[in-house]
Amino acid sequence: MPIKSYLAHPYEGKKNELIEALSSLQQCEVTPAQNNELLILVTETDCQVDEDMLKEKLDTISSLKLLTLVSGFNTSQNY
Amino acid sequence: MYATLTNRRKFIKKMAVLSAMTAAATMFPGILFADEQEKGIPDHANLDWKKAPCRFCGVGCGVLVGTENGKAVAVKGDPNSPVNKGLCCVKGYHSIMALYGKDRLTKPLVKKNGKYVETSMKEALDLVASKMKETINDHGKDAVSIYGSGQWTIPDGYAASKLFKGCIGTNNVEANARLCMASAVTGFMTSFGIDEPMGCYEDIDHADVFFLWGNNMAEMHPVLFSRLLDQRLKRGVKIIDFATRTTRTSMAADKSILFKPQTDLAVANAICYEIIKNGWVNTSFVEQHCNFSKGLTNMGYGLEDHYKFKDKPEKINFESYKKFLEEYTPEKVAKISGVAAKDIKYMASLYGNPNKKVMSLWCMGMNQHSRGTWINNLVYNIHLLTGKISEPGNSPFSLTGQPSACGTVREVGTLTHKLPHGVVMNKKHREFAAKIWDVPVENIAPKPTYHTVEMFRALDRGDIRFMWIQVTNPMVTMPKLKRYRDGVKKEGRFIVVSDIYPTPTTDIADVILPSAMWIEREGMYGNSERRTQYFEQMVEPPGEAISDTWQIIEVAKRLGYEKQFYYKEETHIEEIYTEYRKHHNNKKHNMAPLEVLKSQSGAMWPYVDGKSTKWRFNAKYDPACSNGKDFHFYGKPDGKAIIWQRPYEPAAEEPDNEYPFWLNTGRVVEHWHTGSMTRRIPVLHKAMPHAYVELHPDDAKRMQIRTGDKVKLTTRRGEIVLPASINQRGVPAPMQVFVPFFDEHMLINDITLDSFCPISKEPDYKKCAVKVEKV
Amino acid sequence: MQKRLGIISLFIILFIAFIIIWNFSYQTGLKEAYIPITNTNSNALIPAEDKVFERSGFALEYANMPIDENHQRTLETYYTNRAYPGAPPSIPHAVKEERSMGGNTCLQCHQHGGFVAKFDAYAPVTPHPEMINCRQCHVVQNTEAFFTQTGFQKIKAPKAGVNNALPGSPPMIPHQIQMRENCLACHAGPAAPKEIRVTHPERINCKQCHVPDHNKVKEAAIFVRKNTEQNE
Repeated sequence: MPIKSYLAHPYEGKKNELIEALSSLQQCEVTPAQNNELLILVTETDCQVDEDMLKEKLDTISSLKLLTLVSGFNTSQNY
Repeated sequence: MYATLTNRRKFIKKMAVLSAMTAAATMFPGILFADEQEKGIPDHANLDWKKAPCRFCGVGCGVLVGTENGKAVAVKGDPNSPVNKGLCCVKGYHSIMALYGKDRLTKPLVKKNGKYVETSMKEALDLVASKMKETINDHGKDAVSIYGSGQWTIPDGYAASKLFKGCIGTNNVEANARLCMASAVTGFMTSFGIDEPMGCYEDIDHADVFFLWGNNMAEMHPVLFSRLLDQRLKRGVKIIDFATRTTRTSMAADKSILFKPQTDLAVANAICYEIIKNGWVNTSFVEQHCNFSKGLTNMGYGLEDHYKFKDKPEKINFESYKKFLEEYTPEKVAKISGVAAKDIKYMASLYGNPNKKVMSLWCMGMNQHSRGTWINNLVYNIHLLTGKISEPGNSPFSLTGQPSACGTVREVGTLTHKLPHGVVMNKKHREFAAKIWDVPVENIAPKPTYHTVEMFRALDRGDIRFMWIQVTNPMVTMPKLKRYRDGVKKEGRFIVVSDIYPTPTTDIADVILPSAMWIEREGMYGNSERRTQYFEQMVEPPGEAISDTWQIIEVAKRLGYEKQFYYKEETHIEEIYTEYRKHHNNKKHNMAPLEVLKSQSGAMWPYVDGKSTKWRFNAKYDPACSNGKDFHFYGKPDGKAIIWQRPYEPAAEEPDNEYPFWLNTGRVVEHWHTGSMTRRIPVLHKAMPHAYVELHPDDAKRMQIRTGDKVKLTTRRGEIVLPASINQRGVPAPMQVFVPFFDEHMLINDITLDSFCPISKEPDYKKCAVKVEKV
Repeated sequence: MQKRLGIISLFIILFIAFIIIWNFSYQTGLKEAYIPITNTNSNALIPAEDKVFERSGFALEYANMPIDENHQRTLETYYTNRAYPGAPPSIPHAVKEERSMGGNTCLQCHQHGGFVAKFDAYAPVTPHPEMINCRQCHVVQNTEAFFTQTGFQKIKAPKAGVNNALPGSPPMIPHQIQMRENCLACHAGPAAPKEIRVTHPERINCKQCHVPDHNKVKEAAIFVRKNTEQNE
């Protein structure tokens, strides 16, 4: 169950568009910065297959300039 | 298991967010992320919190206004205020948003050839002053008038009264409180000889039973109602809702009793009948402290121009009063009022029970009443007969609807017959005022001129040619509105309106002056419990807007009254207040000095020896009592309160075959008065976007009307179409309808009746006959 | 003779008439007095207003209740067993009596709530305990599987903490309140999701500060008056 956090940079003036696009994805949680063109994205998926599918979806978002991975966790499957 | 899993994942997510935040902070120092828990709630630490009384109703809640970069950005209830103890209502919490409507008036506008042209404030004030001079020269000083409101701060009202009554010499000073509190005033004056409640809000913490006389407190005085509810949770007090309509208050009350409109007069008498019959009279109290009187009856309703009425009080004795009450047995009254005899007896037993402290509360239901003075008297009768008055918890309490209805209109006296201390008819009072005002005593005219309704009639007739309207919206609130709207539009009338937003009243203005409102200036309000509260200027007014006080001062100077209006711009509020205090420099009415008001959440007059007076007329609490007894009703020359013999008389216009329904009007919790401020607060507008007409479900079913259907209301004055509301906010009794008056797009007052209480001259907005049709 | 017969038959007729009339009146007298039923009680109940106060009697208890940190519900799980925000939640546990329509079987836990050891959780309180045919709307989930996949899009639930207009001002009500008029049922007590648990349950006139946000506001020209237009 991978949980990852990213810093997402939007194209100029497209911050709101990006927030909308990202928050429409079920596995994504967005925390926008108040005073910068930047937002924090946290993704949570059930398995690696889902994770790859999500990756593909993220790549198609046109307002997203750059996505940098900050941290990744994987919870134990036993739970 | 499940719970642990989600918690663990939540924790990990939080960690992920945190690490991302740290990373971001290294890239962009000073970057701000709203914490998930506090989304939308910025840090309060940076805000500058200052205290003020709330801008809206007469409860006078203490609020703390948070400002940032010169803008008001947040409100919280002031925990130190004894009025609201930290709680506000939805209007109070969003009150500061009323400062920032996009269509705020910022520049003076002068009507030229039917168009409004922007001018400078100086030019506009020059024009106002020259028009006033011209009108006085051509038509006499009684052709100019000022019409203010209970939203005037104390300095606003004082400056207006001083200019018009003292300097110009006309008694054409009125305020919209005439439409709202006049019956309460005449009720106090006739029963006690001195205005305003003897008790205070602290009574709520002592009383065991609360009677709400036609008072939808849950919506109109929500913060006080919450205090009642608190007491019920803590002490199990009883709340009795006695009304003509089922409301949120009825839902919350322990018992809801409905009566037919106008019959509260009969029920109050029936309660007195029961109290006497069952021996619940506090004989020693009545013997020591009460007189009995009767006045004229069949007074009429003031529907015709130039209507005059003067009551002729006549002393009677207890026996004849008792005889009079025989007409009002619960059984007889049940037939008139529709209240079951056992309910009347139940109410009487609560009032009569010597072990229960009773508080009666009322507002517009009793005041906007074609026998408003009488019903006020009758409720005092109940409290006087049982001796339940002027003691903690035993309190007949008249609530107000405007932040300074008491403070400005009633205490400063911005009514045609009033002076800050006393009345214009009294030579001594005139001399006293003239001395403080520094004007010749002959300046103050000894005869009152027009009360509000008659003032607008005079404007229609042409007896008044110039009117200055400040902080009020009569083109929404006047009853039988159409006549008065047509009247002010006539040739040769000059109307100046000082306001903060365009309203139907600014629509008829020749000059519109932009005003600084509330915390954009400095001022004081006085609430229902005689509490005077001060607020400082916290933000700058927009554009050229200036306070109503300063507008009046500027015009006064232009009229040549520099001597009387000597105030300096930086300190004029303080100077005016200090001068005003001289009028009340006595034990019965002393006002607290400004330093005191600045340092605490207001003070209650009479403020004597550094102390507020909570219960007047009670020797234990009130230093003005001087007769050596427990109680002293010092408003009357012989120190005794009056129990009035007042009969039941029908309303001016009752339903008939052609107009079979009663029409009642009022307010809703979201909007305040004409909505010129609250409708510009998005939260409130979204919750209550437009007016409606409430019908009883049975009537609606019979007429096949559903919520949202268009309904046409027709009275003898006109017609109006409104969407129906069934089983929503309130439910009127069968064959009655209710319409809130806040909506300037659906002016219910176009069709209301301008009948008024002959003693108080306050119109009855709650009763007229109406035809209801589905459109 | 004829005359006598005539008189006798007259009396017989009178006698019979008497018996009939007497009988009729006796029978009528036996009937129970009938009072026409008119609905004299015009004190109508307003659901939207009345129910706000329904659980207010418990307000002080709510205020004094300690928070059981280990058994808190969250908004997330609150919405998982609802098809969409505002839908009746399904029953996430086996029911005690399959043949029952609900009523007391459900109400014994869900009227006032309380801790249930078996589920290691607090029973949520129903905002409408007077509707006792519970299972007309609330059904048990007996399988996790689909018949076929659904394309139904679950709309987003309103978020907590973002509904206030000003910093610290009371949030507006972001959801419909039909059948949920009873605020304290969901917003107070140990079963209330922690994000929406009210900090001040003793303030029972909720709508004094919290007003609904659901009214669709028709943009009737944002209040631009003639005289401001002419201003330009």
